[in-house]
Amino acid sequence: MNLGEFVLLVFAYNLLALGNGPVMVPLFRRSLVEGRSLLTTDQLLYAFAIAQVTPGQANLFVASVGYMLFGIIGALLAAAVINLPGYTMLVLVRGYERFGKIRAVRRFTRGMTTASVGLILAATVEIGRQSLTHPIGWVVFLLTLALTSFWNCPPLLSLLAAASTGLLLKICM
Amino acid sequence: MGQETPVRTLSRRQLFLTFLKAGLAFGGGLGILAALEEELVHKQQVVSREDFLANYALGRMVPSGTMTAMAVAYGYRFGGLPGTVVAITGLVLPALVLTVLLTAAYAFLPNGPWLVVLSMTILPAALAFIVKAALKLGRDVFRPSFDLVIAAAAFAAVLLCNAHPSLVLLAGGLAGLLAFRGGAEHS
Repeated sequence: MNLGEFVLLVFAYNLLALGNGPVMVPLFRRSLVEGRSLLTTDQLLYAFAIAQVTPGQANLFVASVGYMLFGIIGALLAAAVINLPGYTMLVLVRGYERFGKIRAVRRFTRGMTTASVGLILAATVEIGRQSLTHPIGWVVFLLTLALTSFWNCPPLLSLLAAASTGLLLKICM
Repeated sequence: MGQETPVRTLSRRQLFLTFLKAGLAFGGGLGILAALEEELVHKQQVVSREDFLANYALGRMVPSGTMTAMAVAYGYRFGGLPGTVVAITGLVLPALVLTVLLTAAYAFLPNGPWLVVLSMTILPAALAFIVKAALKLGRDVFRPSFDLVIAAAAFAAVLLCNAHPSLVLLAGGLAGLLAFRGGAEHS
């Protein structure tokens, strides 16, 4: 895959995912990990983890993927291209916001968002089969999920707490 | 759009710094939103709260990050098309620099022990974040509804039929078009 193809892929997937970072994970996994073996699942997960603990948009994890594949230029172009759909705002502010209120558009995006829930969960099962092979990994996974979902801990804190627990268990076992 | 505060404007330098401060905020989109409101509405007082909220509502319709849409809207208002580039750059710069540094760090990790540690700590945590995102996106899905049918079908299509995720998304959109009534969003 050359840089141009990668940038187009990022643009297309960002649009399909409506800018949602997590929805792009299964898309990238299919194209870059399974399809062309350009990345490992671990690298994709790492890129996603970085996006969770850095400030800013979650879909900026594409910059991490871009860097892994093409260096700094990959990161810059990926970061630039995910912002392009934002320019449709210039159309909306001129009074064309009616487009967004058209029922068909809202039904379509609702269908896509709903499908993306199933998509992400399927990807999680596939990644989990590969990556959650050790009990410590499971402990960290469940602890992070509990901390962020049920106790609403900030991502960075949850990551540090769960990762430290994992590290401690690794040292003790 | 909406009621603008007249006269006061932002220079390109101020525009850049405003969005840079917003881009440093933690808490994802909502964190940036709060920081941006603080800067534009309260500190610099170049935008009224009504105008800010109106643009936020519009920004949510854009098929990408709402904060990018805000950067485009206000970047254009205060600096034309070059202003949009200035605003987006400020917004994205902190995260981009950190992202590149942390990604580069991964490449320099020595093989073997560190990668094993990573696979037992950071990576399972990342997977949990992904699940959390799905739960958040689908908070209205997990009840007897057509939403549940679409989500379950998407899940099965990928796991059992190895369907390509982009086709699944488009099929979901089509299903929504055909099946949902009215147009009210459920979230």
